[in-house]
Amino acid sequence: MFVQVCLYFYCKCLWRCLKFVVRKLTGQCELQRICYNTKPGAARTMKIEASLKGSKSKRLQTSVNVHPDAIEKTIDDIMELKRINPDVNPQLGVSLQACLLQIVGYRNLIAEVEKLRREPYDAENPQHEEMLLKLWKCLKPNSPLKARISKQWCEIGFQGDDPKTDFRGMGLLGLYNLVYFAEWDTEIAQQVLTDSLHPKYSYSFAIVGINITDLAYNLLVSGALKTHFYNVAPEAPTLTHFQQTFCYLMHEFHKFWIDEDPLDIMEFNRVREKFYKRILRQLQNPEMALCPHFAASESLINM
Amino acid sequence: GLLSILRKLKSTPDQEVRILLLGLDNAGKTTLLKQLASEDISHITPTQGFNIKSVQSQGFKLNVWDIGGQRKIRPYWRNYFENTDILIYVIDSADRKRFEETGQELAELLDEEKLSGVPVLIFANKQDLLTAAPASEIAEGLNLHTIRDRVWQIQSCSALSGEGVQDGMNWVCKNVSTKKK
Repeated sequence: MFVQVCLYFYCKCLWRCLKFVVRKLTGQCELQRICYNTKPGAARTMKIEASLKGSKSKRLQTSVNVHPDAIEKTIDDIMELKRINPDVNPQLGVSLQACLLQIVGYRNLIAEVEKLRREPYDAENPQHEEMLLKLWKCLKPNSPLKARISKQWCEIGFQGDDPKTDFRGMGLLGLYNLVYFAEWDTEIAQQVLTDSLHPKYSYSFAIVGINITDLAYNLLVSGALKTHFYNVAPEAPTLTHFQQTFCYLMHEFHKFWIDEDPLDIMEFNRVREKFYKRILRQLQNPEMALCPHFAASESLINM
Repeated sequence: GLLSILRKLKSTPDQEVRILLLGLDNAGKTTLLKQLASEDISHITPTQGFNIKSVQSQGFKLNVWDIGGQRKIRPYWRNYFENTDILIYVIDSADRKRFEETGQELAELLDEEKLSGVPVLIFANKQDLLTAAPASEIAEGLNLHTIRDRVWQIQSCSALSGEGVQDGMNWVCKNVSTKKK
């Protein structure tokens, strides 16, 4: 234990010295070197994030927690603190700002998603009810729902005649995700739903959607999704980015499930675990963007 | 945690106990399972398929099988009957509309040959809700007193708060050891 602590401080000290020497040699601080040597996206933003968090300056450490509106001011402070002349390095401020917007945005996205997850589905709330009915309409446009409480809900993969109890620990987040999938990725959502009713690969579409919401939520909270969001969101990642990721995960899981050729639904948790590990592995590659077709215009981050 | 009572019981080391956790969807089986394993219960999602947790404790290794309660999954329950030591049946005490349905499912389970003689613990769950029916009312509604071919017990509990769960597991231990000795 004692040896480890000593080793830790020794390494930290060594790292500081090395940074000092490099800084004197190149005339650039670590933030500058990262921006000049690493291309924009997750690779750069994650290095900047680590550098800011590990900085000995309180101002830099706390910069990852600032309010989005205070980012410009924060960048000015950092430039001043690091004695970087903005006129000589006009690009640097912009690059740093893009990174910080992503870093701060990711934190705020977690808070936003968590708030939705914590809000339970409430059958007394007309907005909640409206969304639930919208889900039905998007998935089954040609077959109207005969009653609010109806066995028909099982056709889109809820457990019983009233979906309200199925949202559970995922709260409104599960409903938001399902509705987004059905509304904006309608063709694929309907296709996945139809395939999920196939006797050989049968699973409950809506319930699996709530399970995949949990999977996406875990990826987000653990920080694993940083790779993806820092690569696709030009500035702060938003709820829409999260929902698009959910659509992608639903579609991918569906394909994975069929490829796994499960014996029956009882294999669900085994397959889900395997799928989760595969996504985690993919996200370890800093170049990884889960859904490239949603990738934001590269020109925006390419600064 | 909750299973510390098990440690107090003197028994042959590493005795494996197979516990089957059944009940309708939304009864609270997974929450109960996580509560037993002292895990976080705020992120529960409906069970597709099944969950299993093994809880090691002095002298016991509890293998708890939590099988999804959705109507579509119920036909698979029978695949898990073999070698069950204890059946735990969970009821949502506030879902009065489905008392009849849950009673039927329980009656069918008690008729299963592979489960004959297996002690059954019925958890009258969700007692934290104001609308929950008391255990005595449920016992009466389900005609539990007519069960003569096995030991049984009804225990009111709240898997959410953990209340009553320990008492139920206490009963489970007592009946495992008497049966297996």
